[in-house]
Amino acid sequence: MAKKKRITMGSRMFDFFNYFLLALIALITVLPFIHVVGSSFATSAEVANTKFLLFPTKFTLDAYEYIFSTDTIFKGLGVSVIVTLGGTLWSMFFSTLTAYGLARKDLVGRRVINFLIVFTLLFNGGMIPTFLVVQQTGLLNSLWALIIPVTINAFNMIILRSFFVNIPESLEESAKIDGANDFSILFRIVLPISLPAIATISLFYAVTYWNTYMHAILYLSDAGKWPIQVLLRQIVVLASGLTYDGAAYTDVPPPETTIKMATIVVATVPILLVYPFLQKYFAKGALLGSVKG
Amino acid sequence: MSMETTISPKQEKRNYKKMRKSELWKRIKKNKLIYLMILPGLLYFFIYKYLPMYGLIISFQEYKPYLGISGSEWVGLEHFKRLFASPDFWMIFKNTLILFGLQIFVYFPIPIILSLMLNEVRHSFFKKGVQTLVYIPHFMSWVVIVSISYVMLTLDGGIVNAIIESLGFEKINFLLNEDWFRPMYILQVIWREAGWGTIIFLAAITAVDPQLYEAARMDGAGRFRQMWHITLPAIRNVIIVLLILKIGDVLELGFEHVYLLLNSSNRNVAEIFDTYVYVAGLQQGQFSYSTAVGFFKGAVGLIMVVFANWLAKKFNEEGIY
Amino acid sequence: MSNWKKIMGLMLLAVLLLVTAACSDSSSESSGDNEGSEEGSDGTFSFSMMANLHTPEVPDEKVLNKIEEVTNTDIEIQWVPDNNYEDRLNTAFATNSLPDAVFLKNQATFIQFREAIQDGQFWEVGQYLDEFENLSKLKQNVLDNTKVDGKLYTLYQGRPLSRQGIIYRTDWAENLGLEAPTTTDEFMEMVRAFTEDDPDGNGKDDTFGLTDRSDLIYGAFKTVSSWFGTPNYWGEKDGQLLPEFMFDEYVQTMDFFKEMHENGYINQDFPVTSKPDQQEFIKNGTAGVYVGAMSDVGSLRDDAIAINPDAQFDVHNHVEGPNGEFGIWSIPGYGNLVMFPKSSVESEEELKKILGFFDQMMSPEVANYAYWGFEGEHYELVDGAAKVLDSDINEREVKPYQAIEIGEPETNGRYLGYFDYEPKAKSEELFLENEEHLINDPTVPLYSETYVKEGGTLQQIITDATYNYILGQIDKDGFDKAIEEWKSQGGDKIIEEYNASYEESK
Repeated sequence: MAKKKRITMGSRMFDFFNYFLLALIALITVLPFIHVVGSSFATSAEVANTKFLLFPTKFTLDAYEYIFSTDTIFKGLGVSVIVTLGGTLWSMFFSTLTAYGLARKDLVGRRVINFLIVFTLLFNGGMIPTFLVVQQTGLLNSLWALIIPVTINAFNMIILRSFFVNIPESLEESAKIDGANDFSILFRIVLPISLPAIATISLFYAVTYWNTYMHAILYLSDAGKWPIQVLLRQIVVLASGLTYDGAAYTDVPPPETTIKMATIVVATVPILLVYPFLQKYFAKGALLGSVKG
Repeated sequence: MSMETTISPKQEKRNYKKMRKSELWKRIKKNKLIYLMILPGLLYFFIYKYLPMYGLIISFQEYKPYLGISGSEWVGLEHFKRLFASPDFWMIFKNTLILFGLQIFVYFPIPIILSLMLNEVRHSFFKKGVQTLVYIPHFMSWVVIVSISYVMLTLDGGIVNAIIESLGFEKINFLLNEDWFRPMYILQVIWREAGWGTIIFLAAITAVDPQLYEAARMDGAGRFRQMWHITLPAIRNVIIVLLILKIGDVLELGFEHVYLLLNSSNRNVAEIFDTYVYVAGLQQGQFSYSTAVGFFKGAVGLIMVVFANWLAKKFNEEGIY
Repeated sequence: MSNWKKIMGLMLLAVLLLVTAACSDSSSESSGDNEGSEEGSDGTFSFSMMANLHTPEVPDEKVLNKIEEVTNTDIEIQWVPDNNYEDRLNTAFATNSLPDAVFLKNQATFIQFREAIQDGQFWEVGQYLDEFENLSKLKQNVLDNTKVDGKLYTLYQGRPLSRQGIIYRTDWAENLGLEAPTTTDEFMEMVRAFTEDDPDGNGKDDTFGLTDRSDLIYGAFKTVSSWFGTPNYWGEKDGQLLPEFMFDEYVQTMDFFKEMHENGYINQDFPVTSKPDQQEFIKNGTAGVYVGAMSDVGSLRDDAIAINPDAQFDVHNHVEGPNGEFGIWSIPGYGNLVMFPKSSVESEEELKKILGFFDQMMSPEVANYAYWGFEGEHYELVDGAAKVLDSDINEREVKPYQAIEIGEPETNGRYLGYFDYEPKAKSEELFLENEEHLINDPTVPLYSETYVKEGGTLQQIITDATYNYILGQIDKDGFDKAIEEWKSQGGDKIIEEYNASYEESK
């Protein structure tokens, strides 16, 4: 096609350097993760003997067998999946409504409300008063305690709002003339052309929910409801020697490095898989394409 | 909670006054469904964000958990005075500002550049692959990252120093030399967050009409000019919003990360407010003092955000409120 | 577009389902939530307690069920990860939601709760102990260490007074014709030889002597300082209590470390080395000496022989300083403490029931369940001592419950451990031998308000200065300046308060 002929020398150079640099960057960023994965499949002896192990010479599943030998990790994963899925849906629902409403330029009081929301990013009452509110609203020891108190992340809502603000008002106006109300405009017109933004913010929420940790410890006294991150954190902290040593309990040797690495892999891979799945919503021109369609 | 309303922009108030009451009411009524839409969100913010804010009161008290807020003794600005009078206050303030500067001027542009580069990639497989790989580090905790850094950089058999030595140079004391703290801090931030940071810009870039590039090419615009004149303007809005939010985080530099990097040799350059109050707050139960420091951080952040937002509005940008 | 309708429909449905789930969930929760301590219909006494989890996983309830069955109780244990224990403890305390029995984690948290104890937030238990057969056996000297204003509010969990000593590579020492060091000079010679004389005989300069970590207390420093005769945190000089770092012996210890560091006898980055990294040096045969808890020899050796089957270790404790004496610092005899908040334990009757439970916990039968698990399944008896059968299973099913042990083998009658590995068994003997050379902390029964409030922050000044001195980043003048800084920022007050408290207690 005509396009191909137009590729100039400069453009080719650009492509070369661009691809080269990106590949290099990808390699650098991924090396430590390969180290983690590699160590999880190695023997303890090899890990202790190799400074920065990437590929084990002796491949073993011992660490995985160990962590999967009880159902703790499955339970943790299960809780995390439920909280992440449910929480993301829940948060997206309310964030979308709020963000769209606050993106409407003709809304009286919009600036004040927006300011009050920004304010919550900067000041918070602290752990104890928040705990009391969670207690008063009856959420203690329920998985909802991991979701409802973080229903809307002000940061995510503001980003989403800034995407909505960019949508040409003419689209909404014409729908209004056709007699559509605000809800149907949001769901029928605005959302379908905002898929990249929705996908991005959903990913942000999903990751936040997946990483929930402190709230679980504070609000869930039943350890059976702990998400995977609590378990992961506990293993990483113990295996990294970060616990207070004083008057230590009789000898509990720190978990093996291989077990730490295997737990990191098990707790990380599920959420890593979300992004590739969402990538199709980032196709170029998705926005305008669907407007036409 | 009266203070928020006093801070709210004056201009808007004046506008309200000018507007005839009936007209205002009409505008509100027209958007009644919109108000219904944002109601649950506002309720959420009220219950879970504003109700607990009464807890900030304890920064003016000598709070004791068993006495509660109502029973604890009032001490006025005592804790703030203690903070400002601390011999380390200016050292900490300076450290914080320098790390903040690194965050804004060194880290912040990188995800933007990276997403522009990714946007120029035509092979979808390569693009998706790189995207997926660079976003992985975000999922590694600071504990793991810092311990991997130790393994790589230590004088006692770290591979980086082994390489430096084999090239015939002196070993470098990365970990126990304060000069290396800042580079290490920002490099780790970049390594962990840059790829993750691209996601949002890549989403914004999708809004660009491909025909615009086509037209630009017809006009003979090179790749850099296309980036500058088409891609960047399309994501300007998001960049500004993110920048303002980042500026608000001026004193929020990642407690855990800094805490793990902190040691006796680099304390002069690495101590920040969060690490400074950590011992006092958690280990010595000084709830009031740590809340006061949090209050101070919020106030500084608020000033920065208000200023940044005002500046953005001056340049006719949307801003964040 | 129709796609979107479907998605939206699904989303709404999901939200709806979640809401209904939440309602049913929280209603079932709230009924169970307010159960405090109470008598069940079948006479079982139910109560809750909070304990710290120091193992990777929350245990399954096999052992707990047995304990409940034997003691006729129904216990809800709220496990809290060790690293976040303070957050949870403080939050629960400030919101009046502490359970019936609260473990405190350590000495530092206990000191923090002192004011609340004085305010009467917790039950005084001293007057009841005599009513219980087993609780009355708790050691008086340890109980004294945990009193507040002469009154007892806690039950303690015993710990050996001092587990500190040396673990070293005997095969390396033999190669070089060295014996276990008996003086600090011999110790220096050993770390020198392990660094310079190729102890592993591979012809390469790839070893060093001592492996240490970023911990001046449980790492090597404090133990070595004991050899030099430094007091344990505080000591008496000219009739006045002063902190350890104002003693010459402390400076001598720093000089000793400085010499090791300058010459490369110790890992160069030890001020930032974590415990696992520290241990790795000895496991993979890079370093030959480890100073810390001698009981670590078991796990160190297990991993070391996986790499090098010829590695051999031994433990040793007796090292004399320049003054010809051996001393070793001690802890106050307890690891953890349990308290009973008045907010949740409402009556004396209830308190006595809970104390009754802990009394039973101190009987040999229950103590063995909590500490060793089930005979035949988790351990077997060899010469009247318990030998763990499978350490993985033990760690998962039993070890976590060690966090709720009360007393120590002497008082609760549980079995001592049996170890095949001789140095490990020897380490247990050396704990006892250490007890004859203890250097005690005179401030344990004393109180200083400034120390409680500022002690940790102030200690940072000294810790930094100590490392910087060892690394050669400051000299003696710099260190003295740090001491002055410590004094002027509140240290003087601590000295004053401790001495006043000391006079009073005399």
